[in-house]
Amino acid sequence: MKVNKVKYLNGLINTVLPVFLAFLIGGIAILAIGENPLKTYWILMEKSLFTSKGLMNTLHYASPLILTGLAIAITFKANLYNMGVEGQMLLGGFFAGITGAYLTGMSPLVHKVICLAVGVLCGMLFALVPALLKVKCNVNEMVVTLMLNYAVLKVLEYLATGVFRDLGSGYVATPIIQESAMFNRSGASSLTMFFIIAIICLAIMYVVMKHSKLGYEITAIGKNTEFAEAAGMNVKRKIMMMMMISGALSGLAGAGYMMSEQFKFTLGFSGSPGLGWDGMLIALLGGHNPLGVLVASIFYAALKTGSDNINLYTNVPKEIVAMVQGLIILFLAVKFIKRRAS
Amino acid sequence: MNIIQTVGLTKCFGDFVANDSIDLSVEETEIKCIVGENGAGKSTLMNMLYGLLWPTSGQILIRNKEIKLKGPTDAIRHGIGMVHQHFKLVNSLTVYENVMLGVEVNKGRTPIIDQKEEIKKVAALIEQYGFQLNPTDKIEDISVGSRQRVEILKMLYRNVDILILDEPTAVLTPQEVDELMVNLKKLREQGKTIIVITHKLREVMELSDSVTVIKQGKVVGNLKTEDTSEGELAQLMVGRDVVLPAISERNTDISEKVLYEVKNLTTINESGKELIDRISFHVKEGEILGVAGVEGNGQSELVKVLTGLMESTAGTVFLKGKDLTNIWPKQLRKNGIGIIPEDRYGQGLCKDMSIADNCIAGQQDDKGFCRLGILNKKCICDRRDKYIKDYDIRIGNVQGNVSDLSGGNAQKIIVARELEANPQLLIACQPTRGVDIGSIEFIHKQLIMFRDQGKGVLLISSELSEILSLSDRIIVMFKGRLVGELSSKEVTKMQIGLLMAGISERGSSL
Amino acid sequence: MDLLNHILYDTIYHSTPIILCVLGGMFAYKANVLNIALEGMMLSGAFFTALIVLLTESIALGIVAGISSSLILGLIFSFMGITKKGNVIIVGLAVNLFVPALIAFILQLMSTSNINLNMLDATAFKINIPIIKDIPLLGGMLSGHPPLTYLSFAAIALLSVLMYHTKFGIYVRVVGENEDAAKSLGIKSDLFKYAAVLIGSVCCALAGVNLSLERLALFTNDMTAGRGFIAIAAIYCGQGKPVVSSMYAILFGVARALAINLSIYAGAASGLFDIIPYIVMVIVLAVVSALKYRNSKSRIIKLE
Repeated sequence: MKVNKVKYLNGLINTVLPVFLAFLIGGIAILAIGENPLKTYWILMEKSLFTSKGLMNTLHYASPLILTGLAIAITFKANLYNMGVEGQMLLGGFFAGITGAYLTGMSPLVHKVICLAVGVLCGMLFALVPALLKVKCNVNEMVVTLMLNYAVLKVLEYLATGVFRDLGSGYVATPIIQESAMFNRSGASSLTMFFIIAIICLAIMYVVMKHSKLGYEITAIGKNTEFAEAAGMNVKRKIMMMMMISGALSGLAGAGYMMSEQFKFTLGFSGSPGLGWDGMLIALLGGHNPLGVLVASIFYAALKTGSDNINLYTNVPKEIVAMVQGLIILFLAVKFIKRRAS
Repeated sequence: MNIIQTVGLTKCFGDFVANDSIDLSVEETEIKCIVGENGAGKSTLMNMLYGLLWPTSGQILIRNKEIKLKGPTDAIRHGIGMVHQHFKLVNSLTVYENVMLGVEVNKGRTPIIDQKEEIKKVAALIEQYGFQLNPTDKIEDISVGSRQRVEILKMLYRNVDILILDEPTAVLTPQEVDELMVNLKKLREQGKTIIVITHKLREVMELSDSVTVIKQGKVVGNLKTEDTSEGELAQLMVGRDVVLPAISERNTDISEKVLYEVKNLTTINESGKELIDRISFHVKEGEILGVAGVEGNGQSELVKVLTGLMESTAGTVFLKGKDLTNIWPKQLRKNGIGIIPEDRYGQGLCKDMSIADNCIAGQQDDKGFCRLGILNKKCICDRRDKYIKDYDIRIGNVQGNVSDLSGGNAQKIIVARELEANPQLLIACQPTRGVDIGSIEFIHKQLIMFRDQGKGVLLISSELSEILSLSDRIIVMFKGRLVGELSSKEVTKMQIGLLMAGISERGSSL
Repeated sequence: MDLLNHILYDTIYHSTPIILCVLGGMFAYKANVLNIALEGMMLSGAFFTALIVLLTESIALGIVAGISSSLILGLIFSFMGITKKGNVIIVGLAVNLFVPALIAFILQLMSTSNINLNMLDATAFKINIPIIKDIPLLGGMLSGHPPLTYLSFAAIALLSVLMYHTKFGIYVRVVGENEDAAKSLGIKSDLFKYAAVLIGSVCCALAGVNLSLERLALFTNDMTAGRGFIAIAAIYCGQGKPVVSSMYAILFGVARALAINLSIYAGAASGLFDIIPYIVMVIVLAVVSALKYRNSKSRIIKLE
């Protein structure tokens, strides 16, 4: 038992230290331009975590992050690199938006369910491509998913500027979705049912990974595929299943985000660097633990929503958040492999 | 005089003492063998002599002068060379490129390599020592015995005086072993000193001038070969009388019913070359069929095909009349085939998973362990505890990972798991490789008991003594084909040795 | 005829940065260190070169700055990925995320969204070779390119020699293929891995210079547009062999050239032409892998 406590503490330090280091270096950059790093960081956190409205907004923004974080985390467990989460999410969001806008006369519940289902389906199908290539031709899924991300971005760009363009809008966008497809906001904040959906998914995935046969098999595949195959786990089938689950979660993230926040598809739908890449950070920070995913998502959402405030109160460019994000991932990379090996 | 000597050489890995105050001395131009069980500490000692490991304490002396080795280049500079058990060759490069690795010759002042010059030098060396090698062959295209000669050549090129060989005969046919011994004796005549690490006592008696026995990290005997015997060495190695397994006594008769039938099994590699070619054999109920052969002659591929990890291109496999050709591992288990795989950490166990998780591998679908997709953790732990008790598995931390176990104990988990599933046929591939003597005895007993229940065992092993002592019938594989079938009662080691080397009983090469 | 000329010229023109990245990245590939930070290194080279040229009006200093920035990234990458044994894919991703963020940060401070090098005339870089430029068809293709283009093609030959005929190249390959063998002969494997990554840094920086300086005298924060990843795909398709991988890089150039030149006929769908190279790469990867393993009867999948 003592061993476990030490391991737990180690794990905690392994996670917190990289974050601290990243903020430290970010702080140096802020100092370099003559601003106060502590003040900047405080502003970052204050509005987003320490007011009730701010907190609800943060939880709201955390919802798609929880899902993309999950999507990447489960593939990491299996030693797969699904870099296409961004593309799968965009696809899910886009087609959920189209379904939301063009399907009329439906009851709110049915409409929402259909839109979410469309998003999930799109994500799943799109993830099927690299999955099939990996399983049938043994192609490196990382390279394929990266390529397909760019391809999908261009295709969606084309669709949004051409066929599905909302001519009434001043910039490139698809039509706004029907009211029946929008998630209702609770009170004055932006929090919606979507957050609950994300939490439910988190809980389900936790049970699956820790207590189900599938979770056992995924872990085994991630550690030793030969062993997994010899133990009768049909590795190829499981890989496909995992990529599709990952795609489904990504698609759900996009659909939910569309229906609770964006309401239309624009070229900046996913923000910068993109919800998929944010998911990467979250998976690295908290991926071994569902609670970790939740905490990491809230933490990162707080950063993101706070970054808008930075511009208002200081001269620090809001890109500082993206820089810190890159640094966190950099420092986490070392812990990442150590955890795996132990 | 002593060319190389160690005084109180010790190596600790954390709390574990791998080598405990070793005093070793080797005389110039002698052939010394270092023997000991698996895990006794022989490789650790040699790695220190070659600079791959740094001693925790103690000294190494060359010609009575102390030296400190910082790495292999240091060792080579002092005239110590090593041929490892797992060759350190680069497959896509040629013989001469591998020999010259690290000491390449450039064209004049340019950084371009002078390939002609390198080939010339290596060819001259090959000539000098009488090795049969072609400098421009790629390593991936030559035989295992040839690759070993390249490794030796690598060291000779660097003018080593002392040549250390780590388990050199593990991958050679009996004939290649004889060839190697001749070559080593020739090298001794040319003034080299040879140190051989091995656990094959017959070779020790034939080859060496002196023997040092290591047990659990300590030296327990320093003898002149002519003064000792295999039996005495074995006793020193394990501290008790080792019953070199005699041919097992049969309590039951072999039935005439055929349990497992394989016909014309064939499969190919990526270049289309046959890895196994029309293999046909059968196993009867209550019989152990041994498959002998030097490693690398298709046994691994045969096992992979029979265990569902590789597909065959032709042939059939039947178990009690049911067609099992090319089915997947899950179906194999369901149909009553148990598997002890060749590489326990590759296919049999997952090192980074807990012991409990490993105990149910292959059986995770069973109703006892899994209901509606959810695993019953208590059941799994109970099963693990049962195995630990029944199979005498020594574990420090029950919750720990398999990586904490010794080779023998890890192997016992596999044996427990497979036997407890009560299969009809057990495919056991290299079941006691790298396992301590106590566990070897235990596993052999389990196999016999299993057979005596009227089941069948397909035993594949490159340890000839294991095959001879356990099998009822023996078949031999060479270059992917079956080249002979013998009854264990009448066979001699000589016969099998010839078959293993591809020479048929009529004396012609196969 | 004119169209064909343009297509051929554009092919060479657009292949250049990819070829440079490919040549840089293949050493790391052969050394078994997957360097996916090519994108970030290229962008950094492009940016810092442009920035320093803007500030100092010296092209030489600019190029030095660009290469230096890329080398620093390479050192960070190597330190985290090799010495500290971090997961190189994650480290590479981190670099690729950090660089554009840093650049955006700096640009924001400069209150501008891109760097315009108005003092330079990009066309002045183009070298018109006297006799060759008049050869029909070939002339239009071979002449009139900026210096780095010619350098990149020459580099294919040079770096091939480096990889296959020098000690350095052999050691890099040995370290990648069998690190144990290297160590057992005293070859310092980490040193060669570092070197492999740093060669990549230099080449990618030069690719960046080609993009920002030579072509457009302009820097925008998404100039590289995934070219680094295309280079990685090309390296995989060609399995790290210089000539073959460069061929795949040229394939991308062809696709790009077609996309640009045929877009007049395609109208609104012209954006779609841009996905051709990505799809082509995926197909090529699939075909190459399928062919490589077509006879393999093994059922075991290897996950890296």
